[in-house]
Amino acid sequence: MIDVQHITKRYGRVTAVDDVSFRVERGEILGFLGPNGAGKTTTMRILTGYMPPSEGRAAIAGFDTFDQPIEAKRRTGYLPETPPLYPDMTVREYLDFVGRIKGVPPKQRKDRVAEVMQRVHITDMAARHCAKLSKGYRQRVGIAQALIHNPDVLILDEPTAGLDPKQIIETRELIRSLAGDHTIVLSTHILPEVSQTCQRVVIINKGRVVAVDTPQNLIARLKGAETMFVQVDAGSEDAAVALERVPGVTRVTVSEQPGVAGGYEVESDRGVDVRRELARAVVTRGWGLLELRPMRMSLEEVFLQVTTEEKPEEATRA
Amino acid sequence: MRNMLAIADKELRSYFASPMAYIVIGLFSLLFGWFFYMYLMVFVRQSEQMMAMGGGAAANVNQSMIRGVLQNAAVVILFVMPMITMRTYSEEKRSGTIELLLTSPVTDWQIILGKFFGAIGLYVAMLFVTALYMAILFVYGHPEWRPIAAGYLGLLLMGGCFISAGLFISSLTKNQIVAGTITFAVFLMLWVISWIGESSGPITREVVSYLSITEHFEDFARGIVDTKHVIYYLSFITFGLFLTAKSVDSERWRG
Repeated sequence: MIDVQHITKRYGRVTAVDDVSFRVERGEILGFLGPNGAGKTTTMRILTGYMPPSEGRAAIAGFDTFDQPIEAKRRTGYLPETPPLYPDMTVREYLDFVGRIKGVPPKQRKDRVAEVMQRVHITDMAARHCAKLSKGYRQRVGIAQALIHNPDVLILDEPTAGLDPKQIIETRELIRSLAGDHTIVLSTHILPEVSQTCQRVVIINKGRVVAVDTPQNLIARLKGAETMFVQVDAGSEDAAVALERVPGVTRVTVSEQPGVAGGYEVESDRGVDVRRELARAVVTRGWGLLELRPMRMSLEEVFLQVTTEEKPEEATRA
Repeated sequence: MRNMLAIADKELRSYFASPMAYIVIGLFSLLFGWFFYMYLMVFVRQSEQMMAMGGGAAANVNQSMIRGVLQNAAVVILFVMPMITMRTYSEEKRSGTIELLLTSPVTDWQIILGKFFGAIGLYVAMLFVTALYMAILFVYGHPEWRPIAAGYLGLLLMGGCFISAGLFISSLTKNQIVAGTITFAVFLMLWVISWIGESSGPITREVVSYLSITEHFEDFARGIVDTKHVIYYLSFITFGLFLTAKSVDSERWRG
């Protein structure tokens, strides 16, 4: 549905987006994750035809956003970072206007406006001026605006930014309910959002794609090494030496978790399950095995790792 | 066409949703009314004198009154127009609604022409109010309607030039005050440029008076529709809109 091939965008000497490629299949929700200034908005602006890429090409439903902009735009709904509202219009007037320029036929327009207002729960606000809406409602009108022409592709730039927790949950539910009918790309710098709403994640940093995968795979993949948490009652002996001798174990560090005595973080090669061996090593020495569990990295840690430590080349190869 | 109308309609409605349209129309008709009154008084006195001196040919209301009123109106328009055009693009850029327009399935030209005709719509409303003053003349006298129509055509074309230039300037900046100020300065230049001509050689005078927007209005005010002036105005408008299109497009490349 969306096909991005090697797009690069330069502003003067600054390269905002550097050779970004990805595909999004029909009905999928793709998360675009990266710190502020990573190039998310620029990529989205290229996808929506707001600006052309310096190099490469992007296509929506097979239509190039630069060569066939009208066809591509007809199939795209876009919510920019700040909802593009006209303060002096009422919500209904505004949606009607957007419907008009997005090419909704005059006869269907009234029904479409009513439909999208219902969909995002803003029917009560129909007669209110956009200037007088709260932040949460502005965002919803922004989403309604993107939906008005029932586009195949929805592009949402930070759809939950600046909302309160309740509104964030509502917005995420709304986005999930839109998947299937629409192919969705959303950007965010908040991690839980991605694992909660997206089926696939593109992590972008300094204009480059660092990783593309499902949130689950990302966790597994980026762990690099498996880490086990082991708590041992070894009396006065040092368990670390013994644990290090277990085949497959690469490193043992004393856990820094507060209030835990005898806790160790045991790292091993990826794909090697050392749990049995660890348990045996502990038990044969007559120590007590109090706890043994794999440590799952949260996506947050993955993200930090991806964007701060790993070199892009390594991550894309991994 | 449909897209252009949608945008023109939106522009026009947004003028009337803010106090701007009312201020502009009110201000313009007030000043127009003042000039109208002044010239009418002068005209009435002149005619009375002529009657007293032997009742020769009645003074021509078109030449001695309406012409003056329209010439002054042209100057007032020059002052008022920046208020209409300054927000057209600047405001969209500042508030981010330009992203909506540029990501909608409409072409740049549809947006530009939509904005142009939206502003023309407000301008026509402005001129329409002044047409009521002219109607009074018809009730009490017998002015010729053709020269008046020519004058209004001139006003419309001249206003079109101001609007297309104002649109271009507005497309250059996010700040509508900056846009307004620059627009005003440029209009003023286009008006006073003819003054340099008066004190210089014949060639300079020719060139300079050709450039002055208001100079071309003289004949229209007199009731003459000269294709030379019509073409000047139309090409000025086209050029302004063309520059706007270039500015919008280059903005896109620069980001």
